Amino acid sequence: MAASQASQAINTQDITDKSRRDLLLLLEAVRGKKNLVIEKSLASIIGLFVKFSTLQEYGVDKLFFLENHNVDSSQRNIVFLARGENARVVRTVAGTYDNCTMIWHRINSITSQISIASLTEAEQIRLVRSESKIDHDFTVIWVPRRTLVSNLVLEEHGVLGEANITELDLQFVPLEPDVLSLELEDCFSDLILRKDPTPIFAAARSLMGLQKQHGLFPRILGKGDNAKKLADLLLRMRSEEDVNASSDPSNTYLTSFGLTPSSTIENLIIIDREVDFPTALATQLTYEGLLDEVFSVSHNQAEVDSSILGSAPAPSTQPQNGTSPAPITATKRKVQLDSSDKLYPEIRNVNFATIGPLLNRTAKRLQSDQQNIHAPNQSISDLKSFVSKLPSYQAEQASLKIHTSLAEEISKFTKAETFRRVLEVEQTLLIGSEGSTVHENIEELIARDTPLPTVLRLLCLESTLSNGIRLRELDNFKRQILQAYGYQHLLTLTSLQKMGLLVPREANRGYLNPIAGSAGMGATDWNFVRQRLQLWVDEVEDETGKDKDIAYVFSGYAPLSVRLVQAVLQKSYLQTLATAGGAAVAPATTGAGWKGFDDVLARIKGATVDVVQKGSDADASHARKTLRGNKEGPKTTIVFFVGGVTFAEIAALRFVGEQLKEAGGRQLVMATTGIISGKRVADVAIEKGTFGS
Amino acid sequence: MSKPTADWEKVGDRFYRKTQLYTDVFDQDLELENYVIAGAPYSGAVALYRDEDKLHAYRGTQTAKPTIDIFSCAGKLIRSLNIDKGIVKALGWSEDETLLVVTNDGTVRCYHNLQNDFTPFTLGHGAEEHGVRACRFWLSGFVALLNNNALIAVTRYDEPRPKLLATPPSGDVASWAIIPPAYTLSRSVEVLLATGKTIYVVDASECEDRMLENGPFKHIAVSPNGNFIALYTDDSRVWVISSDFQNRLSEYNSRVKTPPKDMQWCGNNAVVLAWEDEVHMVGPNGAASKYFYDSWVHLIADTDGIRIITNDICEFLQKVPDASEETFRLGSTSPASVLIDAVDLLEKKSPKADDNIQLIRPNLDEAVDTCVKAAGQEYSIHWQKQLLKAASYGKSVLDLFNSDDFVDMCETLRVLNAVRFYEIGLPLSYEQYMRLTPERLIQRLVNRQEYLLALKVSDFLRLPLNKIYVHWARQKVRSSNADEESICKDIVHRLDGKRGISFEEIARAAYDEGRSKLAIELLNNEPRAGKQVPLLLSVGEESLALDKAIESGDTDLVFYVLLHLKKKLTLANFFRTINTRSMATALVEASAAYGDRELLKDLYYQDDRRLDGSNLLLTEALKQSDSQHRNDKLKLASKLLQDSREHTFQVKAIDESQRLLRIQEVFEKDLGESFVGLSVNETIYKLIKSGNIKRSQKVQSEFKVAEKTYWWIRLCALVSRRDWRELEEMSKTRKSPIGWEPFFNEILGAGNAKLASLYIPKCTSLTVPERIEMWIKCGLITKGAEEALKAKDISSLEMLKNKATGNAVHEIERMMAQLAPSRR
Repeated sequence: MAASQASQAINTQDITDKSRRDLLLLLEAVRGKKNLVIEKSLASIIGLFVKFSTLQEYGVDKLFFLENHNVDSSQRNIVFLARGENARVVRTVAGTYDNCTMIWHRINSITSQISIASLTEAEQIRLVRSESKIDHDFTVIWVPRRTLVSNLVLEEHGVLGEANITELDLQFVPLEPDVLSLELEDCFSDLILRKDPTPIFAAARSLMGLQKQHGLFPRILGKGDNAKKLADLLLRMRSEEDVNASSDPSNTYLTSFGLTPSSTIENLIIIDREVDFPTALATQLTYEGLLDEVFSVSHNQAEVDSSILGSAPAPSTQPQNGTSPAPITATKRKVQLDSSDKLYPEIRNVNFATIGPLLNRTAKRLQSDQQNIHAPNQSISDLKSFVSKLPSYQAEQASLKIHTSLAEEISKFTKAETFRRVLEVEQTLLIGSEGSTVHENIEELIARDTPLPTVLRLLCLESTLSNGIRLRELDNFKRQILQAYGYQHLLTLTSLQKMGLLVPREANRGYLNPIAGSAGMGATDWNFVRQRLQLWVDEVEDETGKDKDIAYVFSGYAPLSVRLVQAVLQKSYLQTLATAGGAAVAPATTGAGWKGFDDVLARIKGATVDVVQKGSDADASHARKTLRGNKEGPKTTIVFFVGGVTFAEIAALRFVGEQLKEAGGRQLVMATTGIISGKRVADVAIEKGTFGS
Repeated sequence: MSKPTADWEKVGDRFYRKTQLYTDVFDQDLELENYVIAGAPYSGAVALYRDEDKLHAYRGTQTAKPTIDIFSCAGKLIRSLNIDKGIVKALGWSEDETLLVVTNDGTVRCYHNLQNDFTPFTLGHGAEEHGVRACRFWLSGFVALLNNNALIAVTRYDEPRPKLLATPPSGDVASWAIIPPAYTLSRSVEVLLATGKTIYVVDASECEDRMLENGPFKHIAVSPNGNFIALYTDDSRVWVISSDFQNRLSEYNSRVKTPPKDMQWCGNNAVVLAWEDEVHMVGPNGAASKYFYDSWVHLIADTDGIRIITNDICEFLQKVPDASEETFRLGSTSPASVLIDAVDLLEKKSPKADDNIQLIRPNLDEAVDTCVKAAGQEYSIHWQKQLLKAASYGKSVLDLFNSDDFVDMCETLRVLNAVRFYEIGLPLSYEQYMRLTPERLIQRLVNRQEYLLALKVSDFLRLPLNKIYVHWARQKVRSSNADEESICKDIVHRLDGKRGISFEEIARAAYDEGRSKLAIELLNNEPRAGKQVPLLLSVGEESLALDKAIESGDTDLVFYVLLHLKKKLTLANFFRTINTRSMATALVEASAAYGDRELLKDLYYQDDRRLDGSNLLLTEALKQSDSQHRNDKLKLASKLLQDSREHTFQVKAIDESQRLLRIQEVFEKDLGESFVGLSVNETIYKLIKSGNIKRSQKVQSEFKVAEKTYWWIRLCALVSRRDWRELEEMSKTRKSPIGWEPFFNEILGAGNAKLASLYIPKCTSLTVPERIEMWIKCGLITKGAEEALKAKDISSLEMLKNKATGNAVHEIERMMAQLAPSRR
């Protein structure tokens, strides 16, 4: 399903190939065997597009994590691979703990190690010989680029001259054929808590990369302050690119005419996470979403207790990326969750309630297949055709086994009483009905020592949906949280307030926070939006039991973010839905951009973006169009989430994408700074330290 | 018009030609014999430096200052470089016409683009102590020989990393040469050192003796393609051997007593020996030719030939290219030569022209190709035209012919002729032009400030023009004396609407000249923030730089500026600068949170952000393991917020946390168990679990824990303690704030069905079916049936009956019977 969406306009395989090629080229440039020292968070990302065995073919002898401080000096060449851009990592304005110094430390420790070793050697072997053996070759590969700050720090430590410094321009990593991600782990906390715009810049650079390849996005739409910032940056980069391209000696004639609008891409829709916190906070109810809630899926992998999966190691679950050669502890096993799995693409996006029958059906099919073999009267040709299918059959069986056990584990989680309570509260809030039971329920959950993230998610959900909680009630909740989970969570609560997730009703205009309240609407009029965009759908299934609206992903709640995308792409559908819902609506209008929904957008917080990009040179763009005109493929829309996207939203967008494809052959590609979930949102704020620790 | 073969000479079975490029090259006063000379590859500029070892006439104090003079091949002075310190030991050029000057202390200066300013680096590896003796250059690097015979190689000039090669044996080095890395098997540069009677080959890892016995060799020269080595022996012979020292190819005896001043390769198949005013050219198989000059001769080897420079003339000696030889050789009957005859006849309006064409009809296309190629090799415009005419005539007869080569050659020749003009002085051969590439030719023109020609050539060849404009503007900034405003206006006006102009480069030139104001003004026209910022910083416009960096959205840039600012400004000023810029503040906050807490404290204090300040103290308190320090921090945190009214909640919470810690410490003392770190609820839980109900109640009242919460905690704690007795006691209580259902659930969850069942009757708020369900869970079906009976629910009874076993079945049937009549 998802895999077959492989879009023609943006071939994600190309991106994977390019990243792999770039990395291997850099490694190849270092002659001979080498030890690779890699930042932990990068290791799994790189694992998404290159296997450890491939790295070994390119001379990588051993792998070390930068954070572990344990590189050895067995190889002459030592290659470091680290992120150089993140402000938090290169914390140098004040701190000394950063990648650069880390590398410097390592280099120093290595050289000192060697000189000691060489001394002892020198006594035994001829002096000349050993001395020539001392010098190590250091290579530092910065991802995604070599920064001024890293240069500065390396220079201060006197390493700049000693090391070869290169950069690996790693931008989007395709998680799936239709999902591109920057995989910035700290993106949400950077953007929302620390107001550090580094991820926006990274996003702009990556989108610019797409524009360079496929032409300008003819129209950029967006909602939210960060979306506005991103769009502005894109425009700015375009004008800078003009100068860069023509002053770059390696450029050919073609690029020197400037960028022209793309003929394959239709829109770029930027959704700022800040516009739609509730969707991120609510419990995801798709299979993939729940997998994420229960096991935390990161970089397409989940770590699961092997006791859950059963003992027999199935082939598809063996750690496919060898970038983490450290032995995985016996109790944890990594499960690869992507479209390479036989079964997963079919079941990842469905609501968890329907997963049982689906697995059941698959099991039955497999069983009947099996019975076919045992059928006595088989011809040789029957047998042959079966044997050829055997490997895929076995893989499917293995994956069925895994997913059945995973689903069982999840259903344990969903059957728990607290889960039911939580869901009840969530649904009440999302429907928008006022109920005092909500507060009672939350209080009970606190008293029963439910995990803090769950409680915070509910409170934040209420706060974001009703633009704050009344001060008295909020203080009451805060007091209970502090008493139940510890006073260190004073910090947690402040963080949540800074993020605008948990605020008193008066103070939500952001006066406590000088950065947030700069432009655009301060708050969203949820009641209006809910009605106008039909954020709650009572019946998500049609008569045949098929899902008919994106609301199925939350069993009733339709994510605002996806509705916004529909407001651009499925105007008439949304109009009829709203009319059916009884909202007074202007007659259905067609047109590009936000047209027809301006009134709703005005009532949602944050700036609205609508930019049409034209080519600087009309003739050139016309010429290009005629050159490519015969290749009128399906138009693609890219949806970019600033601040992360949830699996539920991905599922909903895939649902929209399917409909679009059937209707007019249009395609959707999702791009994001990273994957987010309510748990991760809460984790960002939660203070980890305790008293007396 | 003289014949094209006039300057040809037969050496052995090959023809060589000596083309006079320019006359009146140097001033007659210039004593060329006292100068060291180095020529850039591909007919580039020539650098002259007075040889310190030689005596020279005293000419007053003015000229005593040593300079390096750069001339064009036609003898036009391009630039004069002052060498203020160090003794120049070697001059060399790189492929991109960067002049490299190596002084005896191992300092290397790279003069880029024929400009006055240079970037220096040092060789290290003991060059300072021992001193540099000489250097040998190749297109992209060089090797330096020190006085202690150590060899240091530099392979690139943008980020030079001098590397020590393997140590050669000591002893007097009679002569030496290098084989560039591109032509060696090891892909590292190899050095040939003639020491004693033999030659050593040195590369990065080892030094090998080649076991020759005819040394000492006065000269060694390696052919441009690295395949052959020419050696000049002590008994005045030239040996040509293959570079693997396996084959001796030819030998020539010069019969001159004095060893030659210089020996160089001319292309890949002839060796040229130069004495003061005599030149021998040794071709294959020992055949030779001699030339005599009026004055001192210098040799400059190039890839396809050799330039011979005297005071009077600049000549180019090369093997006659095959195409030319085929066309012009006396008695040649090749199609091309017939074709050129034909065009001659055609001009004379002779009908024989067509006869000639018919004669070579089958090979006509080949003839046209050869003529086009030969045209490229000609220096004389007359013969170029003649050859092209022939080609044009020939191709007009052909039905099908691809004229691309012809058109390209015409374009190329126009460019070549333009740059060969004596005022430009770039006598490129066709092959050199191909290797140089048009882009680099433009760069050379720009370096010579021939902007108009550069623009015209670029335009003609459809190359981008922006670099030429930028170079022009930089030069203008450097040399113009006009006031800054008018310069800026002039430049902006001229470059208006041109694509891809980098104003940053122009501004940098202005800055280097000390014209900061002009630099800032020019920078305003630069669209790329990333380029503006570093320069703005060096100009001293920090806050402007910060604004530009923020505008760009590139946090790396912002950080870069911030680092700079923090070093430069006082803390107060630093804060004041970032204060008004929210993004900068956010970045400083984010980064300081991980490293420099003091900075953060100061920042919060300065901005009067008390909540943040107090939170910072709170985080510190969390890190303290010592209770005294922890309390101090907490006290400070609460004190910070004391005065402000909006933070009363915060203050109260911090105070409460201190109280909790105190109580917990008391408990730890009394009970000998650890409590610190637990929350209020957890403390209560732990107390109940360990049976200290009294104490737990004290905590409850102390912290005003809600009754509901307390009951929940108590329930959970008791269940986990398996304190069934106490739970049984509780069931006798009349009322529970949390209802009785949780009791049932928790106790049942812990496995005590009997006790759990006690609570079922108390759950009065639940419906009958729910209660029946609860009974079933406890396994007490009869009880459930009784419940159903009370509610007169016959269907439930039936359901229960199905579940029941043994005696219970009868019981239920009895009950059903009880109900049945009443229904009747």
